[in-house]
Amino acid sequence: MDILSSLMDGFATALTPMNLLYALIGVILGTAVGVLPGIGPAMTVALLLPVATVLEPTSAFIMFAGIYYGGMYGGSTTSILLNTPGESSSVITAIEGNRMAKAGRAAQALATAAIGSFVAGTIGTTLLVVFTPIVVDFAVSLGSPSYFAIMILALLAVTAVLGESRLRGFASLGLGLAIGLVGIDSVTGQRRLTFGQPLLADGLDIVVIAVAIFAVGEALWVAAHLRRTPLQIIPVGRPWMGKQDWKRSWKPWLRGTAYGFPFGALPAGGAEIPTFLSYVTEKRLSKHPEEFGKGAIEGVAGPEAANNAAAAGTLTPMLALGLPTNATAAVMLAAFVQFGIQPGPLLFENEGPLVWALIASLFIGNTLLLLVNLPLAPLWAKLLRLPRPYLYAGILFFATLGAYSVNLQAFDLVILLVLGALGFMMRRFGLPVLPLILGVILGPRVEGQLRKTLQLSAGDVSGLWSEPIAIVVYIIVALVLVWPLLFKAWRRARPTRVAAAGPVTGGPVGDRSTADRSAAESPSVDSPTATRHRQADVSDGQENADAPKVTHVNHGQEKQ
Amino acid sequence: MTSLASRLKGRSELGVAALLGAAGALVLLDAARLVTPYSQSDPVGPKTVPIIVGALLLVCSVWLAVNVLRGGHGEAEGGEDIDLTHPADWKTILPLAGAFIANILLIDWAGWVISGTVLFWGSVWALGSRHYVRDGLISLALALLTFYGFYLGLGIPLPAGLLEGIL
Amino acid sequence: MRGLSALRVAAVAAGIALMASGCGATGGTKAGPATTGGNSGPVTGLRIMVPNTPGGGYDTTARAAAKVLEDEKLATNPEVFNLAGAGGTVGLARVVNEKGNGDLTMLMGLGVVGASYTNKSESKLTETTPLARLIEEPGAIMVSKDSPYKTIDDLMAAWKKDPSKVSVGGGSSPGGPDHLLPMQLAGAVGIDATKVNFVSYDGGGDLLPAILGNKLGFAASGAGEFLQQIKSGDIRVLATSGEKRLEGVDAPTLKESNIDLVFTNWRGIVAPPGISDADRDTLIATLEKMHASASWKEALKTHGWSDAFITGDEFKSFLTEQDKRVADVLTKLGLT
Repeated sequence: MDILSSLMDGFATALTPMNLLYALIGVILGTAVGVLPGIGPAMTVALLLPVATVLEPTSAFIMFAGIYYGGMYGGSTTSILLNTPGESSSVITAIEGNRMAKAGRAAQALATAAIGSFVAGTIGTTLLVVFTPIVVDFAVSLGSPSYFAIMILALLAVTAVLGESRLRGFASLGLGLAIGLVGIDSVTGQRRLTFGQPLLADGLDIVVIAVAIFAVGEALWVAAHLRRTPLQIIPVGRPWMGKQDWKRSWKPWLRGTAYGFPFGALPAGGAEIPTFLSYVTEKRLSKHPEEFGKGAIEGVAGPEAANNAAAAGTLTPMLALGLPTNATAAVMLAAFVQFGIQPGPLLFENEGPLVWALIASLFIGNTLLLLVNLPLAPLWAKLLRLPRPYLYAGILFFATLGAYSVNLQAFDLVILLVLGALGFMMRRFGLPVLPLILGVILGPRVEGQLRKTLQLSAGDVSGLWSEPIAIVVYIIVALVLVWPLLFKAWRRARPTRVAAAGPVTGGPVGDRSTADRSAAESPSVDSPTATRHRQADVSDGQENADAPKVTHVNHGQEKQ
Repeated sequence: MTSLASRLKGRSELGVAALLGAAGALVLLDAARLVTPYSQSDPVGPKTVPIIVGALLLVCSVWLAVNVLRGGHGEAEGGEDIDLTHPADWKTILPLAGAFIANILLIDWAGWVISGTVLFWGSVWALGSRHYVRDGLISLALALLTFYGFYLGLGIPLPAGLLEGIL
Repeated sequence: MRGLSALRVAAVAAGIALMASGCGATGGTKAGPATTGGNSGPVTGLRIMVPNTPGGGYDTTARAAAKVLEDEKLATNPEVFNLAGAGGTVGLARVVNEKGNGDLTMLMGLGVVGASYTNKSESKLTETTPLARLIEEPGAIMVSKDSPYKTIDDLMAAWKKDPSKVSVGGGSSPGGPDHLLPMQLAGAVGIDATKVNFVSYDGGGDLLPAILGNKLGFAASGAGEFLQQIKSGDIRVLATSGEKRLEGVDAPTLKESNIDLVFTNWRGIVAPPGISDADRDTLIATLEKMHASASWKEALKTHGWSDAFITGDEFKSFLTEQDKRVADVLTKLGLT
């Protein structure tokens, strides 16, 4: 097998002590910058370019690959521990991951993130090796109509996470969409919601927003209600993942990979959307949906796998076609040029050994990251035992540092503060955060793809369904919309079969199977049966996970 | 008593409804001054989405106000470090925000080392730590470490401000 | 807690060690431009600002220039820093505000000219002190290999017949170089610029799949980013917009095809307004020496940039002319 022998040669090159050292440096550096919000692998690689030109191209790229993958790992660590997402692809991880950390299950969260990332990264890189030509042909065939359809599907998924009060969920979504509008309209070049400020012309960065609302908002909120009674040390709990954790994680890992890789390979895909889709899927399919919002391990396992698979997916078109699908890939392409190597369709032919060594080092880097991060997970978790003042001051300090260092402008810090205040307000009044983040991510994309589609079809509406993938996705959308209604009708026709229907849709049925558990914790929630069509604003029976706020149940201790 | 308390609480959440309404109005007003495109291949135009978003916000604003007045309320977020039995502790929030703002004001002029120290020191003080000297040293160490770390490691020169030439 | 305080002590110790090694880091940055004309010694304290993010086109050029300056001992420790935002106008505003500062320079290009209009920047490029134009890159009119258009004439005929049906893709937003090229091209062949169906993409990377997938009528962008795809035949170049043909690309120029347009995406260096004549001359002299060096020629070759070196007043009148041209196009489109 030609591929296999080339890969073996690649391993031979990548496993030399020198290159292993560079891989290690890259991995550590990548983790460090991934931890910091604002600075990411893209910027790091760009800043290191001049330094790296003195190295052998192979070694330099091995280091860059390490930085890239490391960035994904680092971003998850702070997401989980400090609610400070370091990368846009770690934003979703923060939601469940931080909850787990607060409940004393930080080590498990970190472990599932690390292992999931490893699994996804390895599978993703293997897919990269085997399927490159097919993936790339497919990726190129997708145009704006298909992307728009996918965005519609994603928007639909948002409705699944509006939280217990649909009204507040929509309000949050509206705010997110409004924030996403800030900037220059890509078609007509006009500025929207910039209030004459040139610094707002590029819009607000999702990481800055997420850090502001998650981290700064939380710091302000904690400041407002800091527990003055003797501090309870957060129990660190068991350092390793229990059997239940493994059982609940492995399928999300695989599903997350399935989401992440294609989106990473698609030019307009990105790593944020697959993490979100993975989250919603896991919530729907979970046997413990009430845990979502309080620290469900699937909510960490899935998205983490997704973002690492997306990282691998991104490299596929980059290496095969010279097609960058995100900023890091674009900078790596620039690096190729610096070395006098021309990226493009002929890269595999012209620079075979280099490319295969690079791919081999991806496997190695992935393994190194797992080996480095997994044992450290319990240690990182101890970070949470810092006295509160230091912990939150530290969060603010690093959030500020990260946000400032991107552009070295104090204005970014003003945004951090203003949005932090917004985050504070949202926590005070029970506005869910996730719809806002999704509004910021999805809003511009939905609008952009729609208008691009219409432009390309010269204003003809039929352009929306002019691509086969678009049609397929719309059918899926229709099915998703229609399914609950069909299901209800089917149920009404056969009432005795109710209990047998497992958590397939995860909707009203999912609750029933865990009704006893949730009823015990949340005396204030109505019984699930009657709630399906209640007044939507008070409580939605599907999402009663948020109900018992003050009586915080520690799931970590349940798991023996 | 309880009805007064709940009405007061309800009133504060009306602030959220007001905010949503203001945001919606802002978006719509901003959209109104946009010029429709110069090319007919873009039937959607730059105004459509802002109008939809603005409308959504206004609808939510009204709906929320109605909901609040009828007695509904959003659950404030709880957590390990959160003690919701007392109202918001402004004596903590304001110094914390103050430290943050001080950093913003000082960073370009006095440099990161000074402003970062102020930020961290002020934050830990606001959050309750009273070991002044120890905290001051830690703050200074953090600021210096990150200053050098960024410059030597990543080539990002954080502002040196007043300490230019000394560092 | 013991573990933590030990950790803290270790951190502080490490920090002190780091500081000791880093001491003097900021010492060298404010020494001022050394020489007053003449050939005595390299320039110190030179800072080149890039109004874009690291890894972008301006950034690459600036860092390449800085490297050559340092290697050829023309400047000591030149510092390249980024100040991105609003298409380059944030950097522009900074440069214009630092009146008289002889240390600071900014690397810019055609994109910044356009952005200064579309972003309604208060600072204008014509206020800066032009130093030198460094490189240029002609644009290319490209289609996918599956496209029905085989020659530039085919394309122009179809385009003139119904501009709205022939979509044009470019890697910049309105006002950017990839937008200006098709607009000027439309003007040159007699199409109303307001009827052009321009679809903006987020850079060459975003534009590439659209070209390869044959989603566009044609694409207008620099050929540099797509050389490999052109070589492999996945992208067909119908014409290039320079004075002469582009090396390695088998396509006629627009002029050869009887279209009266010469368009290049150029990059140059400017300095703040109000700097002393001595400073200006020193900087220009330094740049001239850089241009003459072998390592600069090497850099040009590596990156595929075309040499387009003009300095001082020649560059100034070029800037003014470009500024006017762009202003005209954008005003017609209502983008100013």
